[in-house]
Amino acid sequence: MKSSTRNPNPNPDTPRFGPSKLMVAFRFLRALTLVHRTAPNSSNAARSRRIQRAAFASMAYSAGPRRAWSRALLWRLHFHRARRLCAGRSRAAGVPRRPSTTRSPADELRRLVPGGTGMDYCSLLEETADYIRCLSEQVKLMQSVVDSGGPRGR
Amino acid sequence: MDTNENNKFELEKNHGNHLSNHSSGISDHWQFNTSTSSMAAGLMNLVTSSPYPSASEMEPFTPGLWNHHAANCVPIGEPVAVSSGGMLPSTVPGISSPRLPHFPAETALVERAARFPCFSGGNFSGMNLLFRPSESMVPYTNAMEDVTEIQLGKTEMNTTVQNGVLLPVDNASVNRGLITNQIDCESREANFTKGGQEGNTDSSDAARNSSPKKRRTTQEEVKRGPQSSSETTKETTEGKQKVDQNSSEHSGKNGKYSSEAAKGDYVHVRARRGQATNSHSLAERVRREKISERMKYLQELVPGCSKVTGKAVMLDEIINYVQSLQSQVEFLSMKLAAVNPQPEFSTEGLLAKNLLHSHGGCSSATGLPQEMIYPQVSLYPSQQGLMHSAISAIINPSEALRRDMNAQLSTTSVYKESSLQV
Repeated sequence: MKSSTRNPNPNPDTPRFGPSKLMVAFRFLRALTLVHRTAPNSSNAARSRRIQRAAFASMAYSAGPRRAWSRALLWRLHFHRARRLCAGRSRAAGVPRRPSTTRSPADELRRLVPGGTGMDYCSLLEETADYIRCLSEQVKLMQSVVDSGGPRGR
Repeated sequence: MDTNENNKFELEKNHGNHLSNHSSGISDHWQFNTSTSSMAAGLMNLVTSSPYPSASEMEPFTPGLWNHHAANCVPIGEPVAVSSGGMLPSTVPGISSPRLPHFPAETALVERAARFPCFSGGNFSGMNLLFRPSESMVPYTNAMEDVTEIQLGKTEMNTTVQNGVLLPVDNASVNRGLITNQIDCESREANFTKGGQEGNTDSSDAARNSSPKKRRTTQEEVKRGPQSSSETTKETTEGKQKVDQNSSEHSGKNGKYSSEAAKGDYVHVRARRGQATNSHSLAERVRREKISERMKYLQELVPGCSKVTGKAVMLDEIINYVQSLQSQVEFLSMKLAAVNPQPEFSTEGLLAKNLLHSHGGCSSATGLPQEMIYPQVSLYPSQQGLMHSAISAIINPSEALRRDMNAQLSTTSVYKESSLQV
């Protein structure tokens, strides 16, 4: 996704909650319009992928670098973007899959929450809490966007 | 442990640079004074004086304090104004008072850290784990607890803890009461149980004697410092109360600080009666309590999990919730891709809507949009007008402001994503 959300969170006085809802909304909407503008003819799946990436990007940007999950998310986005630019549409097949024989719930959580692989349990729980909070806000935001819909929306 | 601690410090440092600088300076300071009893006072001062509650600060403190080995500590930043020489309680108040806003967390952390070495060797009766009451502080508390946990791991090696803990230098701090209480018991026990802490114990005894303590323990009474004020200032969290009750039951005779009406908001770990008191089990217990506290917080986050008990079930619920949230995002993104609204509508209307939603609780409706007005982003020319109209529609800026926005948006530089550290 072309990074239309390049802005590091400029709020000096963020609200009580971590990422500013306003900034998330702003970033996401901007990215959304960008997606619709730049590739109106691409398939829905590809666009939805980009929108999803935009959602995560806006979320992570607003959360700032203080959180491990936001850092990991941003790194992942950058990394994959660079890879895509350099190597075409190559999947991230280089990532070795861990054997799923032993699946402790902590490992599951680590896999779900970005940046959780190298964490101890306590901070993992903390990151999960923050991640859940931001995710739910993002979902609410997207839901409101969909609800307001567009004139041509289905 | 040291590496873990250092790693943690790295993370924490990233989190609060300014804080870590502050704390790192202190930690440097601590390293010098580790072996001196005055260091305890200094430590207390530093702890109390640091205005930042974040764990990042604590980290430098604790390692510096607890580690004889300077390598463990992560020295950074400028030294604190606190005198590097013997830190006497008298000096501390002057230094710490101006900077002592309200972070008992740090003190609590220090106290906790201080406690652990004392306990490691002793037949201590009960350790109370005080948690921070406010949920908003949970992350910080957790971080602090993490630090404490790390510290716990090192407690065996740290004999100076007693010294550090003993002197409740901070006059204003709530912690002092707690610390003194804790330290009293600890130091006493340390005296009994820990032969290894000889030098420290002697000095700590002296330090302890200087500060009368209110708390009584089964072991010999030690004069306590002016705890009443500090004790009263502390409030316990539920966790602490729970632990208190437990320990009260267990250590009725052991004389834990049940008498403290004021519950601090730190976590003081005391070995319960009948439980193993070596540092490993204590650290384990602290860690477990930390985990349970975070699980409680998560329980509140995840809807419909208030009745669930047990870590395993809770974890499964959390995993399911995260998975469902992620799939929801995916689904909504598919929907959004299909919707393809009109550009004007999308930004302007949606922004307005979202602003209305998000401003439900926001007081500064005008302050926040300012951020949007002047973000340093690169917009496609076709989008600029859109953005401008959207923003203007929302915040109703003046025409001049709109022009300013135009100018700014068109000329602002683009921040590379990579600028954000990875």
